[in-house]
Amino acid sequence: MKVVIYSEDPEIIKAGASYFPKEYIIGITTREVKYADELYLVDKIDEEFISNFITSLKPDVVLVGNSKRDKTIAGYVAGLLKVPIIPEVMDLEGNKAKRVVYSGMGIAEIEFSYPAVIIIGRKEVQVKEKEKIKINKLEVKEGRVKILEEKSKGEQGVNLSTAEIIVSVGRGIGSKENVKYAEDLANALGAALGGSRPVTAELGWLPEDRQIGLSGNKVKPKLYIALGISGQPQHLAGIKDAKIIVAVNKDKNAPIAENADYTIVGDAIEFCKIMSEKVKNK
Amino acid sequence: MNIIALFKIVPDDTLIKISGNSLDLNVPNKISTYDKNAIEEAIRIKEKHGGKAYGITAGITDRKTIREALAMGLDEVISIDMKEMDVMTTAEAIAEEVNQIKPNIILAGESTTDSSGGVLPSYLAAILNYPIVSYAKSISIEGDKVKVERNLTTLTEIVEAPMPAVISVVGEINTPRIPTVRQILESAKKPVRSLTFNKTPKVKIVSISPYVIQRKKIIIEGKMEEAVDKLLSYLRGEGVL
Repeated sequence: MKVVIYSEDPEIIKAGASYFPKEYIIGITTREVKYADELYLVDKIDEEFISNFITSLKPDVVLVGNSKRDKTIAGYVAGLLKVPIIPEVMDLEGNKAKRVVYSGMGIAEIEFSYPAVIIIGRKEVQVKEKEKIKINKLEVKEGRVKILEEKSKGEQGVNLSTAEIIVSVGRGIGSKENVKYAEDLANALGAALGGSRPVTAELGWLPEDRQIGLSGNKVKPKLYIALGISGQPQHLAGIKDAKIIVAVNKDKNAPIAENADYTIVGDAIEFCKIMSEKVKNK
Repeated sequence: MNIIALFKIVPDDTLIKISGNSLDLNVPNKISTYDKNAIEEAIRIKEKHGGKAYGITAGITDRKTIREALAMGLDEVISIDMKEMDVMTTAEAIAEEVNQIKPNIILAGESTTDSSGGVLPSYLAAILNYPIVSYAKSISIEGDKVKVERNLTTLTEIVEAPMPAVISVVGEINTPRIPTVRQILESAKKPVRSLTFNKTPKVKIVSISPYVIQRKKIIIEGKMEEAVDKLLSYLRGEGVL
């Protein structure tokens, strides 16, 4: 089988290679890694161009990462190849896969046939490094979609996906001004600060790159503190891998309480003030 | 200008409950969350630039939910009944209808709440040979081109693409309107073209089981001062602090 792995995230090449240890692997990514037999490096991304390039390799299986741009390419490649696509796979074995469905409420077991395009996520795996790697530069040309402007959302340095402790705010924190209490607590705990979809994408109390949930960052801290988050399925899907979940909510019947290890019934701001003090003075 | 909004009718994800070893999907249907944003955007583009706004839905073809889409302002809905479907067969079914309408723009939500894949828009774009612009948070039309602000995770991108194009939208793009009683009544007179598409998908769902991680569900009530002390001792016991 000819296996092609594409992602703007070089870590995905490693995760992808772990599923096909015996096959010849062609990787396409942004930085040199040692998990492919042949590597194409890109310095920019044009979704149409890269999709056409992947298609021209006539692969039997295409593994693609799960960033927004990666997913766009995955769908386009599958359409160009006219083959099935299986999105957001968490487990893959032969022609069977597992994936999360219904906003994180269910796991579906899936059977499919190759050739296929499969979307995968990062994975902690041991993969043997390849000794001989053929490295090529792929000169990416602009397709029909032209980029006129790019704006970084800023707030560099916070990496929610690797954070050990996360303090996260929801609508129940009350206002943008109140977010500072959560920030104080995060600082006291050495934690990263995140938020639910309403708070990040809709109300703008936190930058959008801090969004935790199915459509934002999926996180796996050892401690997750949810402040004023009611617990919509899309949020719960993003925190399933947390070791311990603490919720602070006025309503002990909120869905988050069903999905938390400890729920403090009460005001999130009062909690932040007292908890910050106690952590600092320990 | 012809605009198509793609929408999917799904079991309401906020009402799905886990019962024993299965998911209770016997809940009211709804238009998948971000697909409502796609419908809203289609209507806004039509209101500004004229033309006709079509809806295409595939899978569950619940008439009451289709009427809701029409009441919002779509002119016509093409309802494709599919018993079994995957991304590939859905895109194929939709493409057949798109080729008859010859739209300028096709809008879709960034992902649906049932399968949450988010890849149908680009799959469809590829088989139609249209450009794809995903994750749009604003759309403006300038001549025969469309200008889109894309909401990517760490950056915002402004791009330009020739029409016809497929554009997927994020929830922030607009607030979907709530139809008035009059609009709901009038929607009964709007055309719905029903058809079926039967092709066996190559991706089969063998089973769906609840995705649960057992949590301790310990409730701590009382004075905050004491509650925090209790929590701290629990967290130290767990070794996470």
